[in-house]
Amino acid sequence: MEIVKKKIDGKLSTLTIYLGLGVIFLVFALTCKILGKNFLTLNNLFNIITQASIISILAIGASLVIVTGGIDLSVGSIVGFIGIFGGLLIKAELPLFLAGILCILAGALFGFANGMLVSYGKVPPFIVTLGAMQVARGLALLINRGQPISGFPKSLGMVMSFKVFGLIPVSVLYVFVFYAIIVVIMGYTKFGRHIYSVGGNINAARLSGVNVKKIIVMVYVLSGIFAAIGGIMLLARLTYADPNAGAGYEMNAIASAVIGGISLSGGKGKIGNTLVGAIILSTLTCGLQIMNVPTYYQTIVTGIVIVSAVFADKKKERQSE
Amino acid sequence: MSDCILRMSNINKSFFGVPVLKEARLEVLPGEVHVLLGENGAGKSTLIKILSGAYTREGGLIEINGQAIPAISPKEALNIGISVIYQEFNLIPDLPVYENIFVGKEFGKGIFVDHKQAMEKAEVFMKKVGLNVSPKTLVKDLSVAQKQLVEIAKAISNHVKILVLDEPTAAITEKESDMLFEIIKELQKEKIGIIYISHRMKELFEIGDRCTVMRDGEYVGTVNLSETSEDELTKMMVGRTVNFEKNINNLKDNDQVVLEVNQLQYRNYLKDISFQLHKGEILGFAGLVGAGRTEVAKCVVGALKKTGGSVKYKNTELSSSLPENIRKGIVYLSEDRKEEGLVLSHSVMDNIVLPNLSKLAKPFLRKKEMVCCANNYIQTLRIKTHSHLTEVQNLSGGNQQKVVIAKWLYSEADICIFDEPTRGIDVGAREEIYNIMKDLIEQGKSIIMISSDLVEILKMCDRVAVMREGMIETILENNADLTQEIILKYAMQGGE
Repeated sequence: MEIVKKKIDGKLSTLTIYLGLGVIFLVFALTCKILGKNFLTLNNLFNIITQASIISILAIGASLVIVTGGIDLSVGSIVGFIGIFGGLLIKAELPLFLAGILCILAGALFGFANGMLVSYGKVPPFIVTLGAMQVARGLALLINRGQPISGFPKSLGMVMSFKVFGLIPVSVLYVFVFYAIIVVIMGYTKFGRHIYSVGGNINAARLSGVNVKKIIVMVYVLSGIFAAIGGIMLLARLTYADPNAGAGYEMNAIASAVIGGISLSGGKGKIGNTLVGAIILSTLTCGLQIMNVPTYYQTIVTGIVIVSAVFADKKKERQSE
Repeated sequence: MSDCILRMSNINKSFFGVPVLKEARLEVLPGEVHVLLGENGAGKSTLIKILSGAYTREGGLIEINGQAIPAISPKEALNIGISVIYQEFNLIPDLPVYENIFVGKEFGKGIFVDHKQAMEKAEVFMKKVGLNVSPKTLVKDLSVAQKQLVEIAKAISNHVKILVLDEPTAAITEKESDMLFEIIKELQKEKIGIIYISHRMKELFEIGDRCTVMRDGEYVGTVNLSETSEDELTKMMVGRTVNFEKNINNLKDNDQVVLEVNQLQYRNYLKDISFQLHKGEILGFAGLVGAGRTEVAKCVVGALKKTGGSVKYKNTELSSSLPENIRKGIVYLSEDRKEEGLVLSHSVMDNIVLPNLSKLAKPFLRKKEMVCCANNYIQTLRIKTHSHLTEVQNLSGGNQQKVVIAKWLYSEADICIFDEPTRGIDVGAREEIYNIMKDLIEQGKSIIMISSDLVEILKMCDRVAVMREGMIETILENNADLTQEIILKYAMQGGE
């Protein structure tokens, strides 16, 4: 009996999140029905995930960093930088594939700098990535003198608008592929388990032979890489590069992780739930849009949902005290 | 005695069902320096923490000036005049001296603070303790001895009746100690009861009036320091009459040195540490807390970077890389389970597999194998847990320790360094841990055991290295002639 109880306790966080998503879906489905609109269509579902795709991929990086007990504020600016950087590369008639690789390398480099400063420099992650956020944004403005870039080849747009079997948007596929990979990494590889141990107790991890500095650097590098991938996706979706793109994305990414139950104190949380968190946020946006609720309200609702999610999660802890 | 300022009687306290204080007693007269003496783990600090309100007692009586006081919070304890000065000071480094003295009871009207008045009042107290700096000096710019004086000034400003000094001379120079003793003598004139905790025998006789000895959480006796000797006090401290069977080890191979440490240095903590560990041997490390035993262990495994000397494992020089040394089979089981041994918020299974993931990853980890391995150790070590998924923070101390041991048993280490392996663990679990050690020896492994429990040292070890103030004082063969007194004498007084 006790064991069963324990098992349920462990699953509770996950349950709450799915329940939350279910409730939100239900509320929208019912209100839309009353308003004579249809919410639960396949198209709409794909739309929700497509809307969530970029944030959910940034949120992978955010979650990894948060699990180690850190934070990465620079990803939104990296998205903006990669847009301009990739845009210039494509304009220079580099093949798309090569441009993509260079973008990912650039993202990794940002992450590497962040990680080195956090682990070896011992500068708090908040400060390091706050600085990187400014630097990346500055570079985005600098390298094309603040000008946006447009007039890209059609093939770029296909990176996002392509539909598999003429039905599933390719961006939905990206999301599921990346999450499948990261779930395996986090749960079933040495590297993944080490990330959790570093966040759970850095001293114990170190004395257990975990190279904690390397793990921290790797996690920020991955966050940079996912930010670059997000940047490429945004560039392809808009076929337009704006140096100010991606502003505030880091907050949505962090919010997705937090709603997904990744603990800000580190060491805990399931990365798959981060995707649910991102989908919850995008469902809210899409649903409110369908209901023609003005954008200002959408932001307010999002804010309330973020705090409520953590409040509900912490309620459990308060009760057990 | 009816005129004592403090009387603690029949104090009990246990942690996780393990009793740490059993009918402990302490009586302090006004104006006396009362020494509290005992080995590591004798219960001195627990008793003090009960006095200061940091712990709640489980029965017993505390009387101040003949008046019984109920269970109190640390703040209430301060208000009734109990001040404890720990080795780690309780000061705010970035605030000036005068604000530190009056923190929590600032002068002023309404919401405004009267800095001038506070400074003037602070100077009075500072003069009393002989602290000759400007009251505006920031505490972080003071020396250790000066910070101590700030603490004392703070206590006096609180109308202290009972002042506890926990190893006050541990980190200050001899000259500063002399000055401190002068101040203590001044305080005695004001009829303050002073409880003085220290292991330095010589100074106890210099400053103390009476001495209460504790052992295993129990009261042993109170003596006048003018009527006793160092040897007599030592005898009182170790007079434990526990029957124990000495473990007889025939497996020690004197021809095979597995670990050779030569003139190891670590900053100014360790000097000239040299010893050898043989195959199949249990080498004990005895000494007082702070003697440098843990630092030796950490330097050997590479958790601390040694600043000199060499460590050889089977005739090859070991690097300072901890992961590499673990791979070679040299592991360290920390004395601090919670801070360094376990990831408390993770499951029993995750903790056991953590150092062994390389072995399990092929290249992916299989849950089945991990569960199997965890359950295997839960059974063989008899870890009491709901399941392998239970978070280790929900386990008792003894079971947590077994999880730490399981981690390293699974890694099949060749040399295990156990740092206080039975601290805070009940008797039954202790025996089990000893049995695990014996098993390891039978498998041809070697063990270094750091312990403050001399009974345990005598029971388990083949040889005992006694450390004192960062050096190995001596290495003793554990033969029939070796007693707790001998070890303790080396640990406290050195070889002279």
